[in-house]
Amino acid sequence: MTAIARLTRAELRKLATTPAFLITLAIAVALNVIAVVVDAAVAGKNGTPPLGTTASTDQMLKLGAVCCVAMLVLGIVAAGGEYRHRTIVPAMLITPRRAAMVAAKTLALLIGGVVVSGLTFGLGLATVVIELSAHGFDQLPPSTGRLFADTVIAATLFGLIGVALGYITRSTVAAVVGAIGWVLFVELAILHTVAPQLAKWLITGAATALTDPTAHGPGTLAPGAAITVLGAYTLLLLAAATQLVQRRDVA
Amino acid sequence: MIRVDHLTKRYGTVTAIDGLSFEVGPGRVTGFLGPNGAGKTTTLRILLGLAAPDGGTATINGARYRDLPHPARTVGAALENDCFHPGRSAIEHLRVMTTAAGIPRSRIAQVLGMTGLTEARHRQVGGFSLGMRQRLTLAAALLGDPGVLIMDEPLNGLDPDGIRWMRDLLRQLAGEGRTVLVSSHLLAEAAQTVDDVVVINHGRLAAQGPVAQLAAATSTTRIRTPDTARLISALARDGIAAHLAEADTVEVRGADPDRVARIAAAGGVVVLELSRHTDNLEDLFFDLTSPRTGDRTLEVSPS
Repeated sequence: MTAIARLTRAELRKLATTPAFLITLAIAVALNVIAVVVDAAVAGKNGTPPLGTTASTDQMLKLGAVCCVAMLVLGIVAAGGEYRHRTIVPAMLITPRRAAMVAAKTLALLIGGVVVSGLTFGLGLATVVIELSAHGFDQLPPSTGRLFADTVIAATLFGLIGVALGYITRSTVAAVVGAIGWVLFVELAILHTVAPQLAKWLITGAATALTDPTAHGPGTLAPGAAITVLGAYTLLLLAAATQLVQRRDVA
Repeated sequence: MIRVDHLTKRYGTVTAIDGLSFEVGPGRVTGFLGPNGAGKTTTLRILLGLAAPDGGTATINGARYRDLPHPARTVGAALENDCFHPGRSAIEHLRVMTTAAGIPRSRIAQVLGMTGLTEARHRQVGGFSLGMRQRLTLAAALLGDPGVLIMDEPLNGLDPDGIRWMRDLLRQLAGEGRTVLVSSHLLAEAAQTVDDVVVINHGRLAAQGPVAQLAAATSTTRIRTPDTARLISALARDGIAAHLAEADTVEVRGADPDRVARIAAAGGVVVLELSRHTDNLEDLFFDLTSPRTGDRTLEVSPS
């Protein structure tokens, strides 16, 4: 087994043996299932589209935001938690070539991201199917498969962005607060309103193009472009994190 | 073999380590001593690749830590006793390490047995006492069956039984031919554990060598005589500095008492009493690190 394979296995073991992984997965699944159940319950009331319409189904399929946030938090906790719990010391003693350590963590979150976002979206989607069939509808939009794949890609990339932020800030709290502040205030509240043409090229804008079935038009990137943009941000942040991890002393 | 050569580390305007050089050989327990802020932990961190030096080198078996082909199998490091995820069990912590380092799983049971943690292996580390964490830190360091062990304050948090256990284990490991470097501020305990010491102060080497020989080199010989002035002159002619400790007593530091007695006899000095006071490790430490000692470095080689 190669060194990077060994390290990735160790990182996966770390993920699987800490409560954060299961707690994040459970919360994300629960939020998506509850959201679908609530959407189905209020469909056709107070001016919302009736159940079975494309608009209603699209609303229920907006499962990607939870997947992305869950993976972002998991990535931050996986990397920033190493500093919080000081496990970065044994990690660096075993792997003094720090770039390999960051690469292994990235690969582990890549695998973990596919699992978590796949399960989160999949169980949400199963709930949508159950709700629709319970009300006599058995048709999902033809783009559902693509939406599933795009959501898994976006959420997994968010997990890797979380890894980068965790290593850059060395603090889970600072990284979570910073990331959420950036998404809510800088991207959604300010840029989305002031400069929508710029916002679509940013992280949240690209993720929205991949995860929101109702996002169309000139203010939204095409899926291929969105994956490229999100992937570029991810690589940029991971490169910065790797540089910092290599240069910094461990206090 | 651990070799530190002209090591320098600065934090802003503060020089934490200032041209420090020393060597630690195999088969002996070497104490790494110094007051708080002397630079012990920083030196160990540089040695283990956790911090980068501003100058000089720190090598283990001739290579920087990061250049060792199998670091976890070469060096066992126990730096802090709080490097564990509190939600992970002891055995899972060790499994993560064996997986990452490519060490056989069978070593886990062995090191848990060596450190007395077999019964507690499935408990979450968050519920461990300080002493149990210290044992788990040591278990992790021993996983790779390394030839070099580096420990920062391994006696911290241990009860008297634990201290005795750690002392015996360190001596056993050194007896197996391993290189054991142990930093400690518990001087009385260290005195019973270490063979050699490296003492640093203000980031510089203050002393290095076997404890017994360092103590002898800093011992004090007191001579009670009615001819204090003649004795001081006679000693000075032989290059031995002496001073008047009391009205009828001359004190000499570091000189062989036999030689002092012969000089006195040759000079016709009446000696009423001659006694030797040898420092214990604690006295030696305070002597070497006190401000009045300045930048003096005392090095003796094993006889």
